[in-house]
This record gives sequence, C-alpha cells and structure tokens, in this order.
Amino acid sequence: MTEAWHPVAASSDLPLRHTFHGQLLGRELAIWRADGGFVNVWENRCLHRGVRLSIGLNDGRELQCQYHGWRYASRTAGCTYIPAHPADAPARTICNRSFLAFERYGLVWTGESPAGELPTVEVLEAADPFGLRNLPVNASAELVIEMLHGHGFQPNAKLDNFGAEIAVQSYGEHCRVLSAMAGGSTTTVVFFVQPVDASRSVIRPVMVGVPEPLVQTDVLRHHNAKLTELRDRIESEAARLPALQPLSAAIEQVPIHLSEVPIGAIGRRKAPLRVQVARKWQTATDIVAIEFESIDGQLPTFQPGAHIDVHLPNGLVRQYSLTNGPGELTHYRVGVKLEAESRGGSASLHETVREGDVVAISEPRNNFPLRRDSLRTVLIAGGIGVTPLLAMAQALHHNDLRYELHYFARADDHVAFRTILDELGDSTQAHLGLSPGGTAAELERILDQPGHAEHVYVCGPGPMLEATRRIAADRGWPDEAVHFEYFQNATEIDDTTSFEINLARSALTLRVGSGETILEVLHQHGVSLGSSCEQGACGTCSVAVLDGEPLHQDVYLSEAERELGDQMMVCVSRTNGKSLTLDI
Amino acid sequence: MITLYNWDLSVNCYKQRLLLSILDVEYESIPVDFYPGWEHKSAEFKRINPLGHIPVIVDDGYKLRDAHAILTYLASKYDPSGRWYPASDPHLLGETAQWMLFAEGTTNTASAARLHVNLGYEFDIEVLREGAHELFRALDEHLWFREREGLDWVTSSPHPTIADLAIFPDVMLSEEGGISRLDYPAIRRWTDRVRRIEGFVVMPGMFEAAKGAPK
Amino acid sequence: MTTATGHAVCTDPAILNQWYAVAAIPEISVAQVHRTRLLDSSVAYSVTADGECLAWRTAPNDATVTVDASSQLDWLPTRTAFGYLWMSVGEPPPDVFEVQESAEPDRRTLNAATIGIAVSAPRAIENFLDMAHFPYVHPHMLGEEPHTEVADYTTELRNGELWAVDCRFYQPKAAVSSTEGVMAEYLYRVPSPYCAMLYKSSPGDAERMDVIGIFVHPISEEFVRANLFLCLLDDVSSDTTIRRFQQTIFSQDKPILENQYPKRLPLDPRAETPIRADKMAIAYRRWLTDLGVTYGVIPA
Repeated sequence: MTEAWHPVAASSDLPLRHTFHGQLLGRELAIWRADGGFVNVWENRCLHRGVRLSIGLNDGRELQCQYHGWRYASRTAGCTYIPAHPADAPARTICNRSFLAFERYGLVWTGESPAGELPTVEVLEAADPFGLRNLPVNASAELVIEMLHGHGFQPNAKLDNFGAEIAVQSYGEHCRVLSAMAGGSTTTVVFFVQPVDASRSVIRPVMVGVPEPLVQTDVLRHHNAKLTELRDRIESEAARLPALQPLSAAIEQVPIHLSEVPIGAIGRRKAPLRVQVARKWQTATDIVAIEFESIDGQLPTFQPGAHIDVHLPNGLVRQYSLTNGPGELTHYRVGVKLEAESRGGSASLHETVREGDVVAISEPRNNFPLRRDSLRTVLIAGGIGVTPLLAMAQALHHNDLRYELHYFARADDHVAFRTILDELGDSTQAHLGLSPGGTAAELERILDQPGHAEHVYVCGPGPMLEATRRIAADRGWPDEAVHFEYFQNATEIDDTTSFEINLARSALTLRVGSGETILEVLHQHGVSLGSSCEQGACGTCSVAVLDGEPLHQDVYLSEAERELGDQMMVCVSRTNGKSLTLDI
Repeated sequence: MITLYNWDLSVNCYKQRLLLSILDVEYESIPVDFYPGWEHKSAEFKRINPLGHIPVIVDDGYKLRDAHAILTYLASKYDPSGRWYPASDPHLLGETAQWMLFAEGTTNTASAARLHVNLGYEFDIEVLREGAHELFRALDEHLWFREREGLDWVTSSPHPTIADLAIFPDVMLSEEGGISRLDYPAIRRWTDRVRRIEGFVVMPGMFEAAKGAPK
Repeated sequence: MTTATGHAVCTDPAILNQWYAVAAIPEISVAQVHRTRLLDSSVAYSVTADGECLAWRTAPNDATVTVDASSQLDWLPTRTAFGYLWMSVGEPPPDVFEVQESAEPDRRTLNAATIGIAVSAPRAIENFLDMAHFPYVHPHMLGEEPHTEVADYTTELRNGELWAVDCRFYQPKAAVSSTEGVMAEYLYRVPSPYCAMLYKSSPGDAERMDVIGIFVHPISEEFVRANLFLCLLDDVSSDTTIRRFQQTIFSQDKPILENQYPKRLPLDPRAETPIRADKMAIAYRRWLTDLGVTYGVIPA
C-alpha cells in the first residue's frame, strides 16, 4: 500500500495560509499550500524536537515550527532559519521529510513511496469533476470498500425519488465507481477511500460532471446524508469486529551529520547542479538578470544572502548572489554586471550564455547570513551589490521586520530589479548620481543613530564598503553590527613566509618560497588542482588540511570554518609554521 | 468599569476576555485561584456567586454570572454595531441562541474532558470524548456547508457572533482533553478564521493563527 | 512484568528506585484516602489527623475509605519535602535530594500547579531545560521576538547531578513595573531523572536567585502529572498572583508537549536534530543513557 497513490486532502481543504492535518497509513502529514499555489505534503514532525508541523504557521512561503520558530521553505522542506542562532547560516541542510504531491480531481494525492505515475480514472477524465463532502469513517479502508457495494444514492435529476438502480465498478484496491440510474437519468460518483490508519478511513467522493448551479446544494446535501447513513452502518459493523492495532509508521533516522551539533560549516558542497538558463533580460544598463531553472529535480534551499558558483562555458567559476525572496524555489535569479575589466566572467554571461543553455552551478552557500533578531536592519547597496540585499529585504519584508534598503546607483537607468523594488514599497530608497563625497554625506545621515540590537548589511564596491565601515565606526556602531560581503579579496596578501608542504596522497614534499603561492608550486610540479579567481574569494582551490596550522588570507571561509582549520584556499593562504600536510 | 472574576486557565472566563478584547472594552480582572486554591468555593467568593463558579462580572454595580449569559449581556451593551448579538434580526437571533446552546454541549464534553486530564476531575472520560466527537462531527458538517454558501461563521450572519466565541475555546483546547481534531478539517479552518478576528487574544494553551494574506 | 490484573508496570530500576512527588501536602484533605497511579502501579495515600503520611499499593479497583498506620496493607515508603508528599514504588535512596533554598526563612515555598499532561516525563523535563522556545511559546512573558538568540552556556556533572550554568536569555518585562527587557540569568539542575530545577535572577534580590522546580509524577510512560514548585524571594505578591504567572507558563508548554511525537524521549542521537542551544538536552539524553533509563524513553 505504501507504493500506491492515495488522496490525503481535498484541494479546498487548503485555503490561504492554512496548515492541514492529515494522515495516511498511520503516518501523520502536515499539508499546506504556498501563496503561489504549490502544495507541500510533509511528515508532520519537525526534525528538531518532533513537534507536529500541523500546529505551525504557514506564512505563504515558509512553514514556521511553533516550538522554536525554525523556518522551512516551501517545496524543499529545507530549513532556512534557526532563531536561536541568528548570526549563523544553518551550517547544514536540515530537511524535514516531504512526499511527492499532485492535485487531481480536486484532491491532493501523495504516497509513502509511490511507484509510477499518479493513475487516472477514465470517467473523470471525460467530464469535469465535482467534489462532494469528504467523510472520515472509524473503520478500515477494506471494510469501507466492501460496504460501498450496497451504498445507494439518486441521480441528480431524481433527487426526491428513491430506489435508483446502482451499478458498481471496481477501480483498483481503493476506488469504486457507482452509477445511479432512475427514470432514464444517470449520475456517476467515484469514491476514493483513503486508508488513514488500521481502523480509520476517509471517503472522498467525486461526482462525474458538475451539476447545474441551482441544484448543487441539494446534490451535496443528498450525498452527504446518504454517506452519513453509510458511515453509521459501517461503524456499527466495525464495532462488531475485533479492534485493530493502529499502524505504526516508522520514523526515519536523521542522517549522521544532522545527529550532532555542528562546530562550523561542515562539508564543501561540490556536487554541481545542472541548470538551464530559463530567462535572461537586461534589467539595467550593463546589468543582465538571469534565471536558472533546474533540469533534474528540485533546486536546493537557500537563505537570504546566499550565493551560487556559476561554472562558465569558458571554464571560469564566478559567484553570484541570489536575489530570490523566501520560499521562491522554482528558479534562482542572479544579476550580472558587465565589468569593464572583465577577465571573461561577466562578459561570458553577458555575451555568450543564452536562454536554453545548460550550465553547472554549485548549491547555494551563505557567507552573508541575515540575522532576524535585529530591531532595525539597514541594508546599504552600491550598484550590483544590491543583489544579496534584495534577497534580505524580501525576507525582512515578508516577516514584517523593520528594515530600510538604501540603493546607491549611478543613475536611474542603473537601478536593477525594479519589479522587486516596487513590491518592497516604501522601505526602499534610491540614492542616484552621488559623488564619493555625496555618498559619504548620505551614509553619515543613514548611519547617524546606532540603536540597540540594530544591524547594518552592506554590499558594493570596495571604496563604498570602506566608507561605510569607517562612518559606522565613527558613529558608534559596534563592529559586530556591521556586516560586509566581499566578492573580491581586498586583503593585502602576505606572501613573505616560506615553508614545506607534504602532499599526503602523492607522497611528495615541496617547498613554497616567499613570493610563491602553494597553488603555483603545485602547478609547477604537475599537480593538477582547479582554481578560478586566484584571490581567495571563490573557494574553487579549497584543499583539506591534515596537519599544520593554516594562515588564512582568503575571504571565502567563515570564521567558524577557519577555526576548524581543516581546509584552506591554496591560492592565497599559507602557514606561519614550518610545514603543512595537505590531502592531495 | 467592568470587573471580571477570572481564572486565566478557565475557558469560560476566557470567553469574556476574548469578547471584551474584540470590543476593545476596558475591564478589571480579579484573579480567582480556582486551582489549586479552590477560591471559587470559599465562603468569601460564595458571597459573590452562591453557586461557587466563575466567571462573574460586576458592571457598575450590576452583577451577572454564567459564561454565555455574560457574553449576551456584554455584546448587547458594548457592541454598538449589534453584530455580535444580532438582537434585531429574528433569524440570526434564533441561530445565535441555538449555537449558544450547542456551546453548552461542547463545554460539558470537550472542556470537561480537559478538566479531567489537566486537573484530575473524576469524570467518565470515554463518555465525554464520545460526546465531544459527536458534536464535532455535527459542527464540521455544518461549517462545511456554510463554506459552500460563502459563509464563515456558525450562524448565517456574514459576521461572527457570540455563538462563535462561545464554542471556539472548547473546540480549540479539545486536544488537551484528548479529543483530536484531525477528522474535522472544516472546524480547523474555522478556528483559523476566529483567530484572525481583529482584537483576538489567545488563552494559555492556544497559539495565534498564521497571519492572513497582506491586505 | 505485569500485575495480577494483567497490565504492564515499570520494571526499570533506574526509575523505580526514585522518589516521586505525588501531591502538595496543603492540598491533601486530611484522613481521606486518595488514589492515583505511579509508574503504572495503583497506589493510594493518606494524611492522618496527626499529620502522618501513609502510602500503599492497592488493587486498581480498590475502594478503601479509611486507613490508619495499623492497617494490614502493602505499605510504600514516604517522605515529605518542600511541601510535597513523596513516595516510591521501588527501593529509593534514604532521602529526597536537597533544595537548600527551601530552608531559608525569608522564602515563599508553594505548589503553583499540578497539571496532567499526555507526554512522557523526560519530554516534559527536556522542555523545562530549554530556553530557545521562550519567544515562541511564552511570548511577552519569558521571551519576545526578535530577541531569540541563545548564548553559549556550559553543562556539567556535579555529584551525579546534571547542571547547566551561565545561561542567559532575554526576558521582556522582568517585573511588572519595568518597560525594557533584561538578560535574565538561569542555572538549571537535574537532581534525578524526572525532577528538574531552575535558579533564576530574582527581581526582588540582586544577590540571590528564585528557585522553580518541576517534579514530575509519572502515571505511565506517556502520561504525567507535573508538579510546579516555587521557592521565591517575594514577600509582596499574593499566592494567587504568583501562581497565575507560573500556571500560564505551564499551560503554554502543554500543547507543545502533547504535540511531540513519539511521546517517549528518543535517546538515539539520530532520532532528532540538535543545535548548539540544545547542549543541555543532549547532556540530559546522554545522562539518561548512562543511567540506563529505559522507562519513558526510546532507548538508543
């Protein structure tokens, strides 16, 4: 039975922002519709402490657990936010169990591990389905099915008569098609029976063809009354039979990496995803917007501030922030600015990549997590730096948290993603055509009053980051309240040290002298290792460290990852010690 | 000023707090240590209500007891719109009275089961649970057909009435008495709607509903 | 093991050989027989006119109405401590654990509530040891969004008891008069598997801490009556006022606990996903594993 498809709710059971409590074969389900229409069927249990998600809050894009406020994204059931640790991006993908779901004939269908496509019922394909009232019954599905042979009702044209002739047709294990014939008219109803538990079921009847509007209520009442009579008969029969043990639906173990508290971000997500460029358009002067759609499954969960690596046709890897709002997982949307001094990254996306092309991207990674425990959040964007802040602004907006988005751009035609900005409304403000002095004056004004538990997020060109950081410090903003994201490594790289590297797998010991990088030495000795930006920003040349203490000079690893000391970016990072042992 | 003799964990007191909050009427709450203090059975309290139960209100010297009577009084006096207690419409008034009586049933089954589980009252719990399920089946059916008519509440008024408020707490806390609402999807949707009424407040044991769509 | 009437009773020595608070003494009517269950066994207790506490095992359908110390009954050991009658259906240690503060003369000691909850005892204890849920389950009382962060704290074993120290959490309106929130400080202590205490900075005394305890009376593996013990530095508020706050807190936790499943606490680390804030929960689950507890839990 776990391989079969079963109806678990009526489509009309899922109104806006409601969480439906369902059950199938003993397993409880939390079923909810996102504002966009997508129906989520999840195991009714938060992975954290086992609390039913059916008491959680459907905010239209995410479901929030009632116990600790953890948020799970529509479509993936992946966790996007853990309020107890607001400064951390969830270091691992915590995912509640979810099941495939389809809507057909006005019902929501799912299965534990359904084999094959959702089957069709021919009579319902031929005419419009009309949902009757569903009826829970305290009896096994087998008994309900058995006693449906013997159920009777009147055709729609003869509701006031009685004694219609009934023809029953079996349609698989849990479906019976009954036709009532009287005085030349016929009405057919398909009865789906959902096995809720060993001794509980729901009858979900769907009429073939929609009755005339004027008689609809009478038809509904007629069938409800007839089914209620049937239910009474079934339940008195069930009461005479020996009681059945409730089914026990096994709870899956969580994966090993979710069973322990993470020390830092664990695991480099290297497996590339294949995506298709679904849409590409000019969103502002020199900026194209690109939407990637998955071609082999659901896109993974992301958090606001996250970016993806895009593997370009010319072999380069570039990082782009996602501009998506919460729960928006049908595509990833990025903005790409054509850089005058492009080394081939932005130019490739602007000129070469077309709609329909397939490219490889990484899973989203978040070096720029958004706290949601801030009393006010100030987002400061410069030019293309607006992209991660757009994702943040949409999350804050949707969660009704206080924020303002300041968008500095050269001119009106340089303002990207207008549609998103329009939806955000009054909390966004554009600052156009300002000189560096004018920008600084505006930043002074914006950052004038640091408040308790307020946070600033800034993304933009280097000089603007520096100006923001300086002004914020002058105005008394604490360091930890001002958050930056670097796409470029502005750190001055110290390459004066010299040391040895032991390559554990190749059994080689090499010397890295001052002025050389580990990456260069590796390449000189024929050790192949992928690299891209070669400035410690992209993460491509990450290598596992088995022994020795790395001196990190990249901007890719988070503080927690640095503390772990088990990986390093060999294009810029080195050691102050005598040697490093690398897993190469 | 209204004085409400109140215990925070009592559904019947909560019904008054809920209506007063929705109507935005100020009141003074006098906590009665119903449990474990059994203050409502004290000689002192019996001078206020000889029957020894709560809630009781005193409004400018006028004293009234019994949850559903107080709801009727408060709505009649403090709701100028006349919607919460639709006294001017005979049909709606009749339906309101009918569903207020239904609420007596849910109180005596679902909420009694809650007292058994929470406080150890000696009742026949299986009888209470069966009784509650019987009422819930009827309510779910009724609300499903209301939805089909485009109506949201127990009466045929387009506006909620005190009957909704009288039934709601017994239903919303039924699971504390071991009465699951899994089989009553129309009731579950109605509890969302009640919890989205402007001025709604929770009582301990229930949570707010997810916000509706932005207006 | 089953009784003569055929229902299963607890056989877990780690749980059997403990003291359990079954009633607050001021709430026990004198010279009457009170019946309850403890670890699936039917028991009864009575306080004589002389103030002597008696407890004995009964048949499930027992209807005895009066007893005295000379009656021929299957007597059970009893103690009185912190205003509760404690009993055991196993071989308990000589005394109930200590709560030194309860002897301090300027403290108020009272039972705030005894509430039945359809959950296992360890789930109820774990909830009591958790701070991260305050803004969501006790909004405007013990926590408030967006102040949701759980700062790092330390867990340790002290003389066989489990402790969490240096715990801090944002609390809105620490006192009725205050308008701004404060960082409240907490210490948690688990002296026996089904009892837990918290020590919390007192609004009334900067130097000392209020003590709040949960003494779980396990009726069965999946149903408990939780006794909420208060030992406060407050000579102003009435009993009613004090109880009101705590009863509300308790009642807010109840729907969470009753919506957790499985109802028994899983000890397998791969049953649920912890985060740093759950350090105490992890330590508690490990501690129960080390004690060999099998009742009320799903052993790993």
